[in-house]
Amino acid sequence: MPLRNRIAYAFLAPYLLIFATFWLWPIINSFLISFQNTRVNPWRFSLTVNWGRLVADPAFYNALYNTLIILVIQVPVMIALATVMAVLLNSPLLKARPLYRFAFFAPVVVGEVAYAAVFRLMFSIDFGIINKLIGSVGLPPVSWFDNGTAAMALVIIAVTWRWAGYNAIIILAGLQSIPGDVYEAATLDRVGKVQQFFHITLPLLKPIILFCVVLSVIGTMQLFTEPFLITNRGGPGGATETLGLLLYRQGFTSLNFGYASAIAYTIAALAVAISLLNLFIGREAK
Amino acid sequence: MKSKSRTLMMQRLALHAALTPLAIIWLFPLWMMFVFSTMPDYGIFSPDIVLWPSTNFVENFKNLQADTNFLRAMFISITVAVIYTVLSVMLTSMAGWALARYRFAGRSMVIAIILGTITLPFAVVVIPQFIMVAREFKLANTWVALIVPPLFNSLGVLFMRQSFSMMPTELFDAARVEGVKEWRIFLHIALPLARPTMAALSIILFLASWNNYLWPLLINSRPGMMTAPVALGTLIGLTKVSWGGIMAGAVLLTAPILFVFIFLQRHFISGIAAGAIK
Amino acid sequence: MAGLTLTNVIKRFGAYEVVHGANLEIADGEFVVFVGPSGCGKSTLLRMIAGLEDVSEGTIEIGGIAVNDVEPSERRIAMVFQSYALYPHMTVRRNLSFGLQMNGNPKEDTERRVAHAANILQINELMDRRPGQLSGGQRQRFAIGRAIVREPQVFLFDEPLSNLDAELRVQMRVEISRLHKQLGTTMIYVTHDQTEAMTLADKIVVLRAGRIEQVGAPLELYDNPANQFVAGFVGSPKMNFLKARIEGKGASGVTVSLRADPRVKLTLPVSSAVAAGSQVMLGVRPEHFVNAGAGDTDLTVRIDVAEHLGHTSYVYATISDEPLIIERPESRHGGDSDSLTIGLSAARCFLFDAEGSRLR
Repeated sequence: MPLRNRIAYAFLAPYLLIFATFWLWPIINSFLISFQNTRVNPWRFSLTVNWGRLVADPAFYNALYNTLIILVIQVPVMIALATVMAVLLNSPLLKARPLYRFAFFAPVVVGEVAYAAVFRLMFSIDFGIINKLIGSVGLPPVSWFDNGTAAMALVIIAVTWRWAGYNAIIILAGLQSIPGDVYEAATLDRVGKVQQFFHITLPLLKPIILFCVVLSVIGTMQLFTEPFLITNRGGPGGATETLGLLLYRQGFTSLNFGYASAIAYTIAALAVAISLLNLFIGREAK
Repeated sequence: MKSKSRTLMMQRLALHAALTPLAIIWLFPLWMMFVFSTMPDYGIFSPDIVLWPSTNFVENFKNLQADTNFLRAMFISITVAVIYTVLSVMLTSMAGWALARYRFAGRSMVIAIILGTITLPFAVVVIPQFIMVAREFKLANTWVALIVPPLFNSLGVLFMRQSFSMMPTELFDAARVEGVKEWRIFLHIALPLARPTMAALSIILFLASWNNYLWPLLINSRPGMMTAPVALGTLIGLTKVSWGGIMAGAVLLTAPILFVFIFLQRHFISGIAAGAIK
Repeated sequence: MAGLTLTNVIKRFGAYEVVHGANLEIADGEFVVFVGPSGCGKSTLLRMIAGLEDVSEGTIEIGGIAVNDVEPSERRIAMVFQSYALYPHMTVRRNLSFGLQMNGNPKEDTERRVAHAANILQINELMDRRPGQLSGGQRQRFAIGRAIVREPQVFLFDEPLSNLDAELRVQMRVEISRLHKQLGTTMIYVTHDQTEAMTLADKIVVLRAGRIEQVGAPLELYDNPANQFVAGFVGSPKMNFLKARIEGKGASGVTVSLRADPRVKLTLPVSSAVAAGSQVMLGVRPEHFVNAGAGDTDLTVRIDVAEHLGHTSYVYATISDEPLIIERPESRHGGDSDSLTIGLSAARCFLFDAEGSRLR
């Protein structure tokens, strides 16, 4: 019925208009801008000015390296932690469950700026509570903001704190969709709790965990606020500069939109590629 | 044979022994945020380990307000989040309804485009969005710039679509047989039934807008038009600034939403978990 | 009030045809039941009459007017759904009045109609509850009430009783029958349950795989099924089908022998031409066996199980691997022996050819 068709378009149109203007077109436009020399006025088309620079830019490789390091360390640690949280929270033996749930899930609602500020203060070198606590057990203080490795560790710790609960929520939802009688059957078959986890829970959770990994990869690829605010704009000396931060600096400090767009597309392409790789490996392992 | 109750007790003990330290570590930053916000700056930077709140919150807030007009920023943040949430729920539920309940030409293409691009990072559109809004539309430092562009978010469409397609078709057929107009079916039958989904979605959207940082940072950087996170962010890294004030701001940003979280945990969680259900 | 005419109605979903040219005449005030196994197209046919599905080809007329392009709401029909489709967030009173209200019907008239429907169905005291607070039977009653309120020309029922338990099903069946007598409106009723069809219908339409197999009054279908499918579908327990072979043709008809036991021979009056030696099916209803010696021939079967229901007994038996069910109204025993000899009367037997067409 054509009338129903028209009604459907009427329902869809307002959203579609916004979606096309602020999402679809920018996705395409970003690609086009990456082929513009935006450091001249007016912009001029050039196949190589940005992409050529990208493949030769040490700042890009530094940011790429930092981002991948964070990705490789932070994502697995966080997902493992989130899985443990979810499994333990799901245990029928747990008392005061709401309290524990609150502890792990609360960071999910805390804004990036607020938590960046707290982390910055907690880890400050001379008077930060963390170094005071480290000192109180007799260890030397850590230069969280002056030592490149420590600064990376700090970013990883911060991101893990902020996002582990988020993933735990998703994994917990997955756990709760596993029917209980599967475990009852396993218990009657004299399968131990730990074996149940590895042979029943994990395989059944795999799609959910993969989903979390993909989400985290996308998040990490564009990581911006933490190195921007906590480690002071990617410091020390670029040791925590991520691709997201490089994009910001190129786009909005140097106003070199063409180069920033090339970086943006690289981020997107890497995110998609790594996600697909994950899904592929996940399917292979089945 | 092992005694059943004894084994259970041991398991319970081990469980709590593992979870309690983890929970304390996880709560620690939030607790310290609160503690810092009540301490004078000389207390924060004293060599003593202080883990208990003091009484300097109001003083700290006054310092914050002196550093940046935080009340104005809070007002902007709240207003933007409310308007954004209402608009976004309207748009996404209408679109979700259309995609769930009508078969029209182009339907599967729209769904494919939404699904295909939903996982792309925001980074990929930030440059053209900025150029468009700031340079072509000349909308930098306006309310529209804060509210309208983020409405593209398509997770809500899928969320609402899922909710509508799980409702029994017969319900809408019954109304159609009774001669109820399509938009009234949507308004009087579909929307009331989707209320739990809309609640969960609203919370997630409100939270996203409230905490949004990068886009407001780029588009509204003029002092009178900054959102609260942006205003607070400008202070971090300055040398002559009250850290107690920053912490007071952080608490003001966090506490209301944490408070809501405690009471609406179920909706929060179903909203977040819904991202995984496709 | 109105009758319906379906002329060569075809329904396709994409390239897939699910209803292949249905022709049907429904008189004003008639109670018609569409019956058939799931996937036979009966619900699709009903939804086309309702206007919820488009007609791919052919015409549907209600009250002499073609309604192919008429919106459902303009067809003066009311529909009762399998899941009742009551709006869960409204009281049942609001459920009943919602459609009229949305179409700007005067308030007093709406109230009058709702009160009238509530009276007919005796649901006055539950009117302010929500559907979730009602039992399945009550919900069903309100779903019917919502249809009555529309004062339609035609009532459409889509498997309305299939979500109820057995006892309620019987009760609601009686009520729907009573409602039809009271209102005298045309009703079209879809079910896969042949008992509902037999008990409710003035006219049964048997469908299979998108085709109308036979149209007729319930007892007509029972006594005179057009083919093996209808014969098997109407009647409970199902008609037995025994493989048989044409032995020859005489003055009084053809003689067939059972494949399971070629000594069992039966002569049936068959008018159409059949070749000797061809394979056929002998159909006999469980209730139409007679005592040994009382019929035209006897056969001996092996008993698997006997069910004694008090007023009657069903014997589940086999004759060289072909299963059959025999009803024995008088017998209350039979557990001792594991075989049974029973009589067949040619007058109560049917004969079908290999394609399932009726020979006798």
